[in-house]
Amino acid sequence: MSASLATLVYAFIGLPLIAIVLLNLPNRKFAEKLCIGTGLFVCIVQMATAVIAVLLLIEFNKASMSFSQFWDMHVADDAAYFSVDFLSAVCLFCIGMVGAVSFAAAGSTVRDKILNYTNMMMVLLLGMNGIALVTDLFSVYVFLEISGIASFLLIALYRDPVGLEGAFKYLVMSAIASAFILLGSGLLFLEFGSLRFVVLEEMLQAGVYNNPPLVWLALFFLVAGFAIKSGNMPFHGWLPDAQTGAPSPVSIMLSGIVEQMSGTYATMRLIDIFLLNKFTVVNIGMMLLALLSIVLGAIAAVGQTDFKRTLAYSSISQIGYIVLGISCGTVLGYVGAVLHFFNHSTFKSTLFANAAAVKNQLHSTHYDDLGGLQKQMPIAAATSVIAGLSTAGLPPFAGFWSKLLIIIAVWQTQGAFVASVALLASIFTLAYFLRIQHKVFFGPEKQRPAVKEPKDGIAIASIALSVVTIGFGILFPVLLLALQTQGVL
Amino acid sequence: MNSLTTAFFIAAAMILFAGCYMLVRSHNMIRLVIAVEVVMKAVTLVLVFAGYSNGNTALSQSFIITIIVAEVVVAVVATGIAIAVYRNNGDLDLRKLNKLNG
Repeated sequence: MSASLATLVYAFIGLPLIAIVLLNLPNRKFAEKLCIGTGLFVCIVQMATAVIAVLLLIEFNKASMSFSQFWDMHVADDAAYFSVDFLSAVCLFCIGMVGAVSFAAAGSTVRDKILNYTNMMMVLLLGMNGIALVTDLFSVYVFLEISGIASFLLIALYRDPVGLEGAFKYLVMSAIASAFILLGSGLLFLEFGSLRFVVLEEMLQAGVYNNPPLVWLALFFLVAGFAIKSGNMPFHGWLPDAQTGAPSPVSIMLSGIVEQMSGTYATMRLIDIFLLNKFTVVNIGMMLLALLSIVLGAIAAVGQTDFKRTLAYSSISQIGYIVLGISCGTVLGYVGAVLHFFNHSTFKSTLFANAAAVKNQLHSTHYDDLGGLQKQMPIAAATSVIAGLSTAGLPPFAGFWSKLLIIIAVWQTQGAFVASVALLASIFTLAYFLRIQHKVFFGPEKQRPAVKEPKDGIAIASIALSVVTIGFGILFPVLLLALQTQGVL
Repeated sequence: MNSLTTAFFIAAAMILFAGCYMLVRSHNMIRLVIAVEVVMKAVTLVLVFAGYSNGNTALSQSFIITIIVAEVVVAVVATGIAIAVYRNNGDLDLRKLNKLNG
């Protein structure tokens, strides 16, 4: 058993590294031809491996499986360096999926910088896989830095003024967030002498700490740091700039998965460690952050005049829903948050892929230059309708179910008022989505040279993601029943 | 905690405050990079004293070496971006970095 499981880690951590080495061995001309194929291969292998990991977990009826560093696979659970459980398997699948979409979009958008793009994307995938796999707080910091640095370089890929501006803003905010996270980790290290999740969980559960204010302070710094990383509302300043300034495939990656992995996933881990159903003040703080993001993010999105910028504010709002689900501290909220995590990465990467297609044709994403694209770009128009309805949470689509679970969980724990605020904010979601549709795809046609929809990777990727959105929405009751029979819900 | 470590923690807090003050007040990109470095140094000091006070110095030393490496990479990328911005618009002032209306 352990021999077959051992290969999993190679796929997640080793494959991107091997890909970087192999791509840089041949001469540049030849390597550039291989880039997209290699990237797609790595991402698809990662998705398959994540599915295999889930199947293995079910097969052996375990909550998680553990690995040490590369040279030692036979390791006790509490001495492991990497571990895979259901949450990280879902996240690894999402990383592979969004990475594949980004590579599919790269062929027609960053053609002239494809080798640099692929190298940095591999580092980014490596960093995010690391965040999903590691089992101690300090390694989370290390992999956060890896994925952060790769993102800064990707945003500033063309060294154009907007990209550099977005990258610098992201860099400064991210450095502050890292400092906060490290400060929190340092205080926990002072109190417990270790940063391993298992040790922290044990000690916090047993209540063996003699300095409670220190632990509270550490928790405050950790939550604040991860809130900056995931772009929750008072700390959101960098996010729209970074996503508007970035090249199209990079903004797919940033919005679809990077914020979620570096901010929200880590917050979910904190819930596991700190058992936040005890620390109620922290839950209320997270709930306030989430509500602020949901409401203000949606209102700000209505007022934007740029396609990508609207989507960036929409991400702030949707990630608010994920954090709201986490903040409940119940299993239902947690499951809802994980499902919304998956849904957010499908529909947001569809929308950003559509933005990439539009930008590719018209070299602009400003509403003044767009309008009436429905006839020329039917695939982009149709898929963005599906993704937008899923974002707004309309019944047949996947987004409805995850939002429903989150809102039920919130109703149970925090009362009807909070739940109705979260529900009403969905109306704003529908409002800004309709505005996007009106300004970009419907509405009167502008005077411009004729454009046509390219039959390239972007179209295939957005169709595939729409199929996932609809299929997941229709099959969701089956999944819910499966979770119920497993005794999760 | 004895009084020595408390004094050290107060020193670290003061360095942290100085770094944060610089982050808020300065508009020069290079100064901002320096401010980030100062903040990270304060955090590193916290880790040093944490390791010292719970007797786990070996672990904290390995943390600190890793932090130094990660920090250097961030500083290199940040100064690289600052240089590219300077080449583009001949100025390092952050207030002129407003093409995105953020």
